[in-house]
Amino acid sequence: MKIIKLTTNNQTTVLAQAVACLQKGGLIIYPTETVYGAGVDATNPQAVQKLLSYKTRREGKPLSIAVSDRKMASLYVEINQQAKNLYQQFLPGPYTVISQSKNNLAPGVASEFNTIGVRIPQYELVVKLVQLLQQPITATSANASGKKRPYAIADLLNNLSQKQKNQIDLIIDAGILPKNEPSVVIDTTLSTPLTMRDTREQYSTTAKAKPRISVFISQNDQETQELAGKILLKYWTQLKTTGLIIGLDGELGAGKTIFAKGIAQFLQIEAKITSPTYTYLKEYQYNRHQVRGNFYHLDLWRVAAAQDLHSLAIDQLCQPKNILAIEWWTQATSLLSTIKPKLLLKIEVLKNNHRQITLIEN
Amino acid sequence: MNSPPLLILAIDTSCDETSAAVTLGPVVLANVIASQVNLHQSYGGVHPTIAIQAHLEKIEPVVKQALARALITPAMLDAIAVTVGPGLAPALEIGINFAQKMASTWHKPLLAINHIEAHLLAVLAVPKNKKLPIKKILAAKKTQQKIPSTLSKHWSEVIMQTNCAHKASFPVLGLVISGGHSQFIAVTAMGKYQILGETIDDAAGEALDKVGRILGLGYPAASVIEKLAKHGNPNRFQLPLPLANTKTFDLSYSGLKAAAHRSIQELETQGPLNQVDIVDFAASFQSTVFKHICDKLNKLLADNKMKSALSNTAQFTQIWLGGGVANNIKLRQMICQTLKPYALSLQLPFEKRLCGDNAAMIGVAASYQAKKKPLIAFDSTADLTSTLFDRRPSWSITDQN
Repeated sequence: MKIIKLTTNNQTTVLAQAVACLQKGGLIIYPTETVYGAGVDATNPQAVQKLLSYKTRREGKPLSIAVSDRKMASLYVEINQQAKNLYQQFLPGPYTVISQSKNNLAPGVASEFNTIGVRIPQYELVVKLVQLLQQPITATSANASGKKRPYAIADLLNNLSQKQKNQIDLIIDAGILPKNEPSVVIDTTLSTPLTMRDTREQYSTTAKAKPRISVFISQNDQETQELAGKILLKYWTQLKTTGLIIGLDGELGAGKTIFAKGIAQFLQIEAKITSPTYTYLKEYQYNRHQVRGNFYHLDLWRVAAAQDLHSLAIDQLCQPKNILAIEWWTQATSLLSTIKPKLLLKIEVLKNNHRQITLIEN
Repeated sequence: MNSPPLLILAIDTSCDETSAAVTLGPVVLANVIASQVNLHQSYGGVHPTIAIQAHLEKIEPVVKQALARALITPAMLDAIAVTVGPGLAPALEIGINFAQKMASTWHKPLLAINHIEAHLLAVLAVPKNKKLPIKKILAAKKTQQKIPSTLSKHWSEVIMQTNCAHKASFPVLGLVISGGHSQFIAVTAMGKYQILGETIDDAAGEALDKVGRILGLGYPAASVIEKLAKHGNPNRFQLPLPLANTKTFDLSYSGLKAAAHRSIQELETQGPLNQVDIVDFAASFQSTVFKHICDKLNKLLADNKMKSALSNTAQFTQIWLGGGVANNIKLRQMICQTLKPYALSLQLPFEKRLCGDNAAMIGVAASYQAKKKPLIAFDSTADLTSTLFDRRPSWSITDQN
């Protein structure tokens, strides 16, 4: 691998070398206003495969791409009104806007929902690079999945395996980058924007205390299931590390079990998800991208006494890689004071038979 | 066919009920269901609870009472049978642990039974009657004498005479309709099952209980709906028939449940529901719930008839009905109507308690399972048995190992 140090004078030569490398299907490491990124030509199938083997463990998440402007973005994704607003307000800038793919990129870039994250970095070098290449490049962060955020090349290389280092063709070293937060990721493919990642929140004391509330409209069962999947994709890492509890509220027929089916779909569970009203609890094993765990589907409709709940040992069920979805959550909140769901969903039936789904993230 | 009947102690703790029974072949010598018996209870609760504590406290007295009523001792048993699934995992474990302890103590074989299969085979249960040489057979078991083949033959003949389901040639079509299950099961041989259709969301009994609660009928509401529906107008409220245009034999009640809920809400905007409204709604809703089953049953039978004419597949010879909702007279009537053009008979368990959750049906199912392989006394130290009797909360009836 070649390392070029970026100086105030050599931008043109650096760009020329980077473009040549990318055109040959090479993988480059480049600086942005957030962290170092790993880039390949997003329209080149072999190059994208190379990046995927470098990055590993996508587990359904999209690879984001960097483009030079909104016009270029619109060649590769459907930009709806929500996305238009975000592009207008925040791009170029440290934001990744997820939209529906137009299927013009190499396989492997889009998420399991066929969505793509788009970046227009506020970093001249990258924008120029894309303009010269005339193709979008991947904008995923350069670190191996789960490793330290790459603000310096030395940090990056120290945390890579030899195999990964062998995949890199060119590194543009711009020194130590200012420790800005990685981009805020927002999914615009639902009825309302869903923030998938916002690491700035940990610094705000008010944001930490208040739960985040989002309201979605679903027009049919399929949309509800897709919403469930996208929310779970956001919480997938947490599910693996600590387990996840989701409370489901809504009157009879609102669609709580449909949401649970969406969870099962995301987890790639093939068994039919049916109502657990009579057994209180149904358990399903899942295997998603080589991660194995249990999905516990609970229904408290028939629970009348605290001792009934005690028997279910709900707190013991919540382990890493396990997810609990509890229907009729409000039925037993007084009895469940020790258990706090991470996510609470309230589903209401609207006059036109659509559903209003309120997501409360605690 | 003429093998001597097995004396089995059966236990079921698959969900709310704690039940123990003693069966001799398909004959029910005792069937004890905790909630229906006056057991000393140290905690309140009118309706069954899932409290593990409740199962733990009830299991021993219930087993003792079953043995006492059957007038037998554990030493006389040929085997012990216990529900291993499907059901609620921690509840199943109570029954399994108790059964394992008993099997170890008395050196008896242990049989793992599927709860749905038991509901299906409940139609084969036979009540005690004078024609059956029960005393003779029990006496032989007490003294551990071999039962003469003439006695076994006589026994089998009386069973056949008493219960038509025993005369059935396969295949038979089974329906298990309860609060937790709604399935159409093809029985091609004893122990060989195929699910032809089942609910993709709620069970029929559940739909009745849930809508009944909205109507203010309390819980469990299904039997109250049945009583009120007798006086109601089933045509007053039009509710959508689920999956009317799909070709599968699956059932679905969540849409109907939601439609009923909306209907009731609309009705309530005009003022609180009066007696007539409630009674009519109960009739209309129940009628639609059962129409859905009969509609799919009809499609299934028509398909079966056509297939048997085209290829060499056999036609169903009988219909077996089981599960708590099977107690509903209206459902039975509607099914019989549906069966008329096919000239098929409907077989039902001989009494109400055999339809709901109970251990006698477990014993009946066990008596058939036991014929398949030689019975070996349960050994709690053997590795083999450790997974064989693990609780299987999602065990499907088609999964027979």
